[in-house]
Amino acid sequence: MSTAELILNRKEKRKKVIIFLLDHTIEIMLITLVVLLSVSVHGFMTWSNWMNILRANSMKGVIAFGMTMVIVAGMIDLSVGSQVALSGVIIARACRDLVAGGMGVTQACIIGIIIAVAFAIVIGIVHGFFSHATKMQPFIVTLVTLGVLYGVGGIISGGFPIANQYPGWFNVLGGGRINIPGWIVRIFGVNKIDGIPYPAIVLILAYLLINYVMTYTTIGRSIYATGGNPESARLSGINVQRTKIFCFIMVQLLAVIAGIMTSGQVLAGSYSFGRGWETDVISSVVIGGAIMTGGIGTVKGTLLGVIFMGVISNGMTLLNFDIYTQYVVRGLIMFLAVLLSTYRARVKA
Amino acid sequence: MTESILRAEKIVKDYPGTRALDGVSISLESGKVNALVGKNGSGKSTLVKIFSGAIKPTSGNIYLNDRLLQFNSTPDALKEGIVTVYQEMSLVPALTVAENIFLNRMPMKRGRINWQKAYEDAAVLLKKMHVNINPREVLSRLSMWQMQVVEITKALSFNPKMIMLDEPTSALAQNEVQSLFEAIRALRDEGVGIIYITHKLQELAQIADTVTVIRDGTIVGKVNMAEVRQKDIIDMIFGGFEVKNRPANIKVSDEIIMQVNGLTRDGWYKDVSFSLRKGEILGIAGMLGSGRTELLRGIFGADPVDAGSVTIDGKTITHANPIKMKKFGLGLTPEDRKLSGLILIHSILDNLNYASMDRSADGLLEDKKKRMLFAEKQIHDLDIKTTSMYNSVNSLSGGNQQKVVVGNWLNTNPKIMLYDEPSRGIDIAAKQQIFEIMWTRAAKGISTIFVSTELEELLEVCHKILVIRQGKIVKEVNPERITINELYEICMKGE
Repeated sequence: MSTAELILNRKEKRKKVIIFLLDHTIEIMLITLVVLLSVSVHGFMTWSNWMNILRANSMKGVIAFGMTMVIVAGMIDLSVGSQVALSGVIIARACRDLVAGGMGVTQACIIGIIIAVAFAIVIGIVHGFFSHATKMQPFIVTLVTLGVLYGVGGIISGGFPIANQYPGWFNVLGGGRINIPGWIVRIFGVNKIDGIPYPAIVLILAYLLINYVMTYTTIGRSIYATGGNPESARLSGINVQRTKIFCFIMVQLLAVIAGIMTSGQVLAGSYSFGRGWETDVISSVVIGGAIMTGGIGTVKGTLLGVIFMGVISNGMTLLNFDIYTQYVVRGLIMFLAVLLSTYRARVKA
Repeated sequence: MTESILRAEKIVKDYPGTRALDGVSISLESGKVNALVGKNGSGKSTLVKIFSGAIKPTSGNIYLNDRLLQFNSTPDALKEGIVTVYQEMSLVPALTVAENIFLNRMPMKRGRINWQKAYEDAAVLLKKMHVNINPREVLSRLSMWQMQVVEITKALSFNPKMIMLDEPTSALAQNEVQSLFEAIRALRDEGVGIIYITHKLQELAQIADTVTVIRDGTIVGKVNMAEVRQKDIIDMIFGGFEVKNRPANIKVSDEIIMQVNGLTRDGWYKDVSFSLRKGEILGIAGMLGSGRTELLRGIFGADPVDAGSVTIDGKTITHANPIKMKKFGLGLTPEDRKLSGLILIHSILDNLNYASMDRSADGLLEDKKKRMLFAEKQIHDLDIKTTSMYNSVNSLSGGNQQKVVVGNWLNTNPKIMLYDEPSRGIDIAAKQQIFEIMWTRAAKGISTIFVSTELEELLEVCHKILVIRQGKIVKEVNPERITINELYEICMKGE
């Protein structure tokens, strides 16, 4: 090999290394952060702290998986936070009114859930229809429903939280946990590990489901195609409208699940829940590597993005950072993540 | 304004593998409309780019009034008074006419924009063009020809000696063209030199004073328009072209596979009817704006139609859309592969599987192995040059990208393929490969409709050619019994 070839070879290799690093930005950032925190912060690398992180971020995380579908399809849904509140309120109101009418609380609650789910599906269809058929931008369509759903939640609840109407089992998704059998606990040592919170399990199940849809099905492929270039997708005979509606319905349904978890945790439905969640949800998706113009992004990336955001908040809380500093730090990290992903796009092109 | 002469001497421009210009010498005078004509790839756009400073010649010089010019960039050419008005508009639709003309150079007074002066100056320039356009009007409210005039006025504001107009009428309707011509004549009478690049020969008689024909990188000749007939110019453009590479044993069955019945889209094409036989390659010849692309998209259901239907295998389809037509065995490679044929950021593997998604999947579940087989088959059959099927299609050359678009559809096992300008922007070798693909698939019984601006391609590839003019099929010709010059005349007639 000549010297020139050697230099070229070395350059090639270096580019490959850089691309590898850029492709795994979120993994590298997360591992670095975890190592730093476990060395420097007492009580970070414990079972209960990790379960805390998962539980605290599970509601937004569940929505983030749906948001990944929406963003990969080249759209956005700003209304998810309002849907979180609204579904909790609908179920609480159904429980209160139907029980007052003489129905059993469990039946009333199930009817409430069915109403909330049906409403979420309708909202998803409305989003999909108006952003496709009338060419309104999803940003605007969902900005409208962000406000409207919040208002409807306020109307249904009469402006106050509806507390203590749910049946006893309702807080399972939000607050319960599975205990780990004693013999496993003894292997790791008593007090080292304990139960797994249900919210963490919901998070993992939602991840597995959405990741499966996005990775192994033709629906997932259609979502990537729709976001990558809607016109090419349409001319390839892909049903772009149906794909868009599907994404909007999924994110709304996941918001209902998050709503059940949230209201279950505090045993009350309030129109003020989920306020502003859309920004955190979108942040996790973007940090996970999705791009806002669509066509690129993975559910796995989003999961890492959710955990990353959770670990940052948790670490800063353990280090006694005040809440305002936390906002600044999180903002800067998101900036860094997006900067790296635009750099990645340039290196590859 | 004084006389000026722009002169090129022995210009040579080499690109890797090809010589775009081979010793071009030409002289163009002010106060005249100098037309520059030649078919695609003849080198006329290369010459224009050299005049505008966008590229440097490999050797040779250009002179303005016998003074040697050396351009390193387009602003250099601008300083010398050579302005180019490109085909793609460079205007901002939301701004006023005056703002567009003086974009980035608005007259200032004490650090603020002097709006009064801007409007007045714009009005003066517009008056030179003999047009009645209000400088305060927002650009998006103007008609296409008026926008084109604003574009030229913007060029005029640089006080040019030479203005190069690159296909200025390509986006205009017939009646608008006349209005634009009047403005161009007014400009000529102001003493500005005009270089008019066009492929629409019927325009020459109306607007050109001199015509320079360029072919295969050399100047064939420069003539005064008053002294020649259109037929002479056509002969100069095409020279002695011969149809070659045509396979001898191409036979078509009598079985009709698709019938188009009175298809109409108001304003684009009207009452189009024809039939397509099994294994036939049917060409559609027509100039830009004749409705050929729109017709093809209408058949495929990519755009809605106002009347008519398509019958495939005895079934009549009225409200067509791509999803439905795919089920009937149709495939379309669109005119602009980057904007509507491919998903550039995705891999070759993905792009070869989008149309055939349902075929390579098991119900809703994707079959990874089958997807890879589908991709490998097309990469091999169509000779797509790539190191890996996981590379993005962005990394491919134009010809290979086009093959991916074709492969995407061949994977659906189509009965009828519609090709819209498949050879646009790809090199000759790739072009031949695409034709090869059409022939071999035709031999296997796939019918083809092939739309192209390049008439020699149609003559080379097709069994039968339909000529479309102003949205109507005007003639059906046999490519073996017609010369390119005759075909060209049929396409142009009556315009």
